[in-house]
Amino acid sequence: MSVWTWLTLGGAAVLALAVVAELRRRLQTSARGRRFFRHPTAALGLFVLAFFVTIALAAPVVAPYPPYYQIDIGHPNRPPSAQFLLGTDPFSRDVWSRLVYGARVSLGIGTLAMLVAATVGTAVGAVSGYFRRWVDATLMRLVDVGLAMPRIFVLLMAVALWEHIALWALVLLIGLTGWFGTSRLVRAEVLSLREREFVAAARALGAGAGRVIFRHVLPNAAAPIIVSGALGIGNMMLLEAGLSFLGLGVPSPAPSWGNMIADGWHKMAVAWWSSTFPGLAISLVVMALNAVGDALRDALDPRREAA
Amino acid sequence: MTEPLLRVRDLQTYFVTEQGSGTARAVDGVSFEVQPGETLGIVGESGCGKTVTSLSILRLIPEPPGHIRPGSVIEFEGRNLLTLEPRELRAIRGNQIAMIFQEPMTSLNPVFTVGDQIAEAAIVHQGLSRRVARTRAIDMLRLVGIADPEERVDHYPHQMSGGMRQRVMIGMALVCHPKLLIADEPTTALDVTIQAQILELLDRLQAELGMAVMLITHDLGVVAGSADRVAVMYAGQVVEQAPTAALFARPLHPYTEGLLASVPRLDAPPAREHGRLHSIPGQVPAATAWPDGCRFHPRCPYAWERCRAEMPPLLDAGGGAEPGTHTVRCWLLTEPRRRTPHP
Repeated sequence: MSVWTWLTLGGAAVLALAVVAELRRRLQTSARGRRFFRHPTAALGLFVLAFFVTIALAAPVVAPYPPYYQIDIGHPNRPPSAQFLLGTDPFSRDVWSRLVYGARVSLGIGTLAMLVAATVGTAVGAVSGYFRRWVDATLMRLVDVGLAMPRIFVLLMAVALWEHIALWALVLLIGLTGWFGTSRLVRAEVLSLREREFVAAARALGAGAGRVIFRHVLPNAAAPIIVSGALGIGNMMLLEAGLSFLGLGVPSPAPSWGNMIADGWHKMAVAWWSSTFPGLAISLVVMALNAVGDALRDALDPRREAA
Repeated sequence: MTEPLLRVRDLQTYFVTEQGSGTARAVDGVSFEVQPGETLGIVGESGCGKTVTSLSILRLIPEPPGHIRPGSVIEFEGRNLLTLEPRELRAIRGNQIAMIFQEPMTSLNPVFTVGDQIAEAAIVHQGLSRRVARTRAIDMLRLVGIADPEERVDHYPHQMSGGMRQRVMIGMALVCHPKLLIADEPTTALDVTIQAQILELLDRLQAELGMAVMLITHDLGVVAGSADRVAVMYAGQVVEQAPTAALFARPLHPYTEGLLASVPRLDAPPAREHGRLHSIPGQVPAATAWPDGCRFHPRCPYAWERCRAEMPPLLDAGGGAEPGTHTVRCWLLTEPRRRTPHP
């Protein structure tokens, strides 16, 4: 069993490396790709993300035990060893296996919630900034209200209404309370872009509002949207972790990195591993997302001189 | 005379200013016509309403704060553009009437290749496929005199020089073979040698494609070289309109006279003012408070009581030409004896 664990772990790492190397090779032909990989931590961040995505997708292969399987109920909190890579938690479950399955939940919720938030935020911001006047006033007052409400309490309240909230509902909740900042950002970009001469030129060419917004304005605002999206995933993951830690997010016994920390934290003194490793996983992924987001911004800005 | 391609009658475009302190009458009763295939030069200094006039024709005035007052007429091939639905209007923009802007640096979208941008109008108006539109874009690049069009088509605007970008802009504007091209200061942002190339290019394309051009500029030299007729604008109005040769030979409005005298000439060094270049005294008044009477009277060396009290209409200058070809908004035409050098 333990050989297989090491083998799959190594396999995931090699696969992630291969993905990064292949991407690097392919993107090397374009100026953008070269700019992306010139960022000092882009490759590392990409590797971390590729690694976690790989183990999440291949969870049944990678994880030595099922995520709910209580191995030896009489002897919980076993320290990391060759058999239990990251030890076992107070319920005697294998932390590595749960971390692997938890990656599915945490990455999935973070990504999907960010997509919801970015879509809504971009749409609201673009409409608001482009049409201005009462459309803008109405939408932005709505955003003011959204920003004024402490998000974690809104989420706690909403989540507390459900017992055992469905994952898709959690995704929507986190996403729909997270687009306000993005909409402000996009609106500001659009407000400045709509006055640019190339927008007037596009309208003089006979382009309608939709075409102007989607082809001329938003692509020029892509860099901040992408960067805020990449950072946003991290934020959403942290939020999900926070909710799950409080017992209101992903319901136990399903593993998410947040509720794994919660499961282990009152035994921190005797079994530091069951909370620490999911915590490290969260930090690693969030940092990797930041690095990749930053490198994307460097890469996607065509005003940078080609090299 | 044939049916004009474009007829602008009594165009009034006003802007409500931010503080509500007043209304800027940026364009205030402008009328002119453009015949098929001809070049009309519109001349005037900054703030006289040239650009607002051209934007009004395509209804690109930002509303609010701007609006075109009811009673204004802009007829293109007999259809009033001011009453068209947005959809019908979009079908004309870029297709029948195209526009090129002053700043080639900022008028191109930085995130798309120039080929994409030239192709766009063809895709919008003629429903071409991307592949066909790309071929068309290459043809246009060749037409506007860009070397290596097959390669340049995939370049981004920042990879090109100012003159090349203006050529790209012209290519974008002409891709649907418009009947009217509005060129708003097409050469102002370029240096002089490139200016000449661009103007030559416009002349050549006009001849090849048989389109009319509205050439908006503050540079009399540009007008002299390219325009068939000239309209001089001052303070939101047309103050003089004439065939180019007639205007330069016989400027009748004191403002036109002043403008021409302000141009440095190689053949006739200016004798007056101790060898210094002539300048028109004073400033253009603010568009929120045009002077009463003739708007030029505070700066006019000939002004008398009537000019302060009554706005002159456009009067026919006569002078051998066909009636209506040379018109001037000045009371001097009724009292030519007053045209004497001022003390």
